[in-house]
Amino acid sequence: MLKKTGILFLALAASAVSFGKLNVVTTTSDLGSIAESVGGDLIKVQSIATGKQDPHHLQARPKYIIMARNADLWIRTGMELEIGWEMPVIDGSRNRKIRPGQLGHLDASTHIHKLEVPDARMLTRAMGDVHAAGNPHYLTDPENARHVAADIADRLARLDPKNADTYRKNAAAFSDKIEKKMAVWKQKLEPLKGKSIVTYHKSWIYFCDQFGINIAIELEPKPGVPPSPAHLTRVIQTVETDDIEIILQEPWYSTKAAEKVVGKTGTRIVTAPIFTGSDPEAGDYIALIDLIVKRLTEQPE
Amino acid sequence: MNYLNSSAMFVAGTLLICNASAQDAAVSSGITFNDSTGALRAFNPAVSATIDMFYYNENSDEGLSHMKEEVAGFGGHSHDEDEHDHDHGYENGFNLRHLELTFYAEVDNYFRAQAIAAISEEGAEMEEAWAETTGLPWGLQAKAGKFFSNFGYINAQHSHQWDFTDQPLIYELTLGSHGLNDKGVQVSWLAPTPFYLLFGAEVFQGDNENMYVQEEADELPENDGPRLGVGWVKIAPFQFDNSELQFGLFGASGSHQEIHEEEVGGIDYDYFYDGDNMFFGGDVVYKYSSGKAYGQGDAVVQAEYFYRDKDLDLKDSDAPGAPIGSALTGAQDGYYIQGTYGFLPRWRAGLRWDQVGLTNEEQEPGEAKEEFGDSWRASAMVDFRPSEFSQIRFQVNNGDYDLGDEGTENVWEAFVQLTFSLGAHGAHSF
Repeated sequence: MLKKTGILFLALAASAVSFGKLNVVTTTSDLGSIAESVGGDLIKVQSIATGKQDPHHLQARPKYIIMARNADLWIRTGMELEIGWEMPVIDGSRNRKIRPGQLGHLDASTHIHKLEVPDARMLTRAMGDVHAAGNPHYLTDPENARHVAADIADRLARLDPKNADTYRKNAAAFSDKIEKKMAVWKQKLEPLKGKSIVTYHKSWIYFCDQFGINIAIELEPKPGVPPSPAHLTRVIQTVETDDIEIILQEPWYSTKAAEKVVGKTGTRIVTAPIFTGSDPEAGDYIALIDLIVKRLTEQPE
Repeated sequence: MNYLNSSAMFVAGTLLICNASAQDAAVSSGITFNDSTGALRAFNPAVSATIDMFYYNENSDEGLSHMKEEVAGFGGHSHDEDEHDHDHGYENGFNLRHLELTFYAEVDNYFRAQAIAAISEEGAEMEEAWAETTGLPWGLQAKAGKFFSNFGYINAQHSHQWDFTDQPLIYELTLGSHGLNDKGVQVSWLAPTPFYLLFGAEVFQGDNENMYVQEEADELPENDGPRLGVGWVKIAPFQFDNSELQFGLFGASGSHQEIHEEEVGGIDYDYFYDGDNMFFGGDVVYKYSSGKAYGQGDAVVQAEYFYRDKDLDLKDSDAPGAPIGSALTGAQDGYYIQGTYGFLPRWRAGLRWDQVGLTNEEQEPGEAKEEFGDSWRASAMVDFRPSEFSQIRFQVNNGDYDLGDEGTENVWEAFVQLTFSLGAHGAHSF
């Protein structure tokens, strides 16, 4: 009994730290950064994926269960990105408030414009790791980040009505910032407009769609399938036909396959993070897009 | 002949791997009509089927599955009628495990539930049918139905989730091929500590095939259910970025009966025993996630220790002068330690070491205490996952089995296992 009292006391001490603030847990670090822009000092944000990990392949770890246990709001990317681990974490946390369908569970993909939504009648696993709801990497398009910020503000306002105005004001400010930045990003990416690039995984389609860059081919023959020699031959052919200069990939993919292409063509590898926190320069969402633009437009030495 | 078979299977496996690379190059054409998406699923449960087959070959004379029943200190129960009810020994050649047909859904805003039909070529068994609360306060959760006990680490996992084709020796020799899977209830509590601390208590009917048996015999008392209690605790005290370390402790106690047949002077006599079986132990799991793609560089190390203690009384016997009321006691233990490492994208290699019978003693009524030796087994495996939904695994075991008076026998085993999962993309617990 004495032990239990001790444990309860510890728990009280632990919960007192964030007393008065809404606890927000996001599945990815970019969502975490947008939530911070919207909630400011009124919320405490924790992100499950650090930005250095591919959020599709996480495990339902005890650490995540502890993060979810006291959450007032759980924000996910949705579109099946977290399908392999989200529910065991929520179930394990025994937190009623954040179960899907509750006010404390927000799917950030609700109002974004979706790309690559497969025709349900045509869908088969033979297509590789294709998501039935569409491509979930939508936050590489800053326009989608504006929708997400607005959704987060609405939800925080419902959970914490007395600060509703602050949340909405913050979201509007974030949205304005993105709008101003958009002009800069577009101008910087002008040289790439209408040109083709190669990406490793189908994770850049929203970014490229927004900035008018064409993705000619991926290094992965199919989503989730590592590059094969036969496919790399096709990539090399495509690179030569379309006069491609850039192979864009995330830090967690090996550069071996890309190096094979570089060795045979005049391309260069651009490694850019897709989540905040994976690079010291990508501290928040806007800095992340800044960094992606910078990496793409840096002139090779 | 065996070599021909194993080479054939090896070739088949190699073809499967080549198929994976050949497929990569194929253009996504010829897509078939398929309507199993979330949009059309509405309120239907998530349905999946797991096909799990393997080619098996072992080199013992009398058959390893038979030998395992004779391992000193662990075998020697003769069940009268249900001898072959649960015979899951592997045959040389092709083996097909149960087809696992899984239905999962949130029942409503109070419960979630899962039902698994395990279908074999002979018929179907109810492997799981349970519901669990989703809305209890204070970190509590309750579960009822038929389910795998959550003690230790590997018991709650289905065979297709194991990192090796077969299960650890100590589990197989004590709890049998199904592990501890029974009808009952479970209550668990996530303590409000800053780190992960989970307590669980389970009460089961006590119908295990090996350790918690109730025999149908007039000579034995009819023990009312529930006859088995299990308690466990899991703790993950650290919050590392890329790895997780979880420890567990567990204990269980329940009612058990045995009928022994012994031949004295050419006449068979039956001895009827009733009493308790208890076990306790600990488990540890370490998982490291490299952050690289396709599981490359990921590592898992897990180990479990299991000690069981049997305490039965001789209730009845037709042998003249049998020491009715005397005790039959036994204590056995064992452990395994295994590790896997993703040495290439989609490829893993693993090693496992099993040992049972470090403690291995039995005392029959009116006889001196007998001490038995230990048995060990070493395993190595390599597996390849073309995608999240298919896997091929190659595994080799070599072990020394102590068969008591018959001495020790060394046996080699080889497996080539194919696993396919159809339908819903399952989510797995840690």
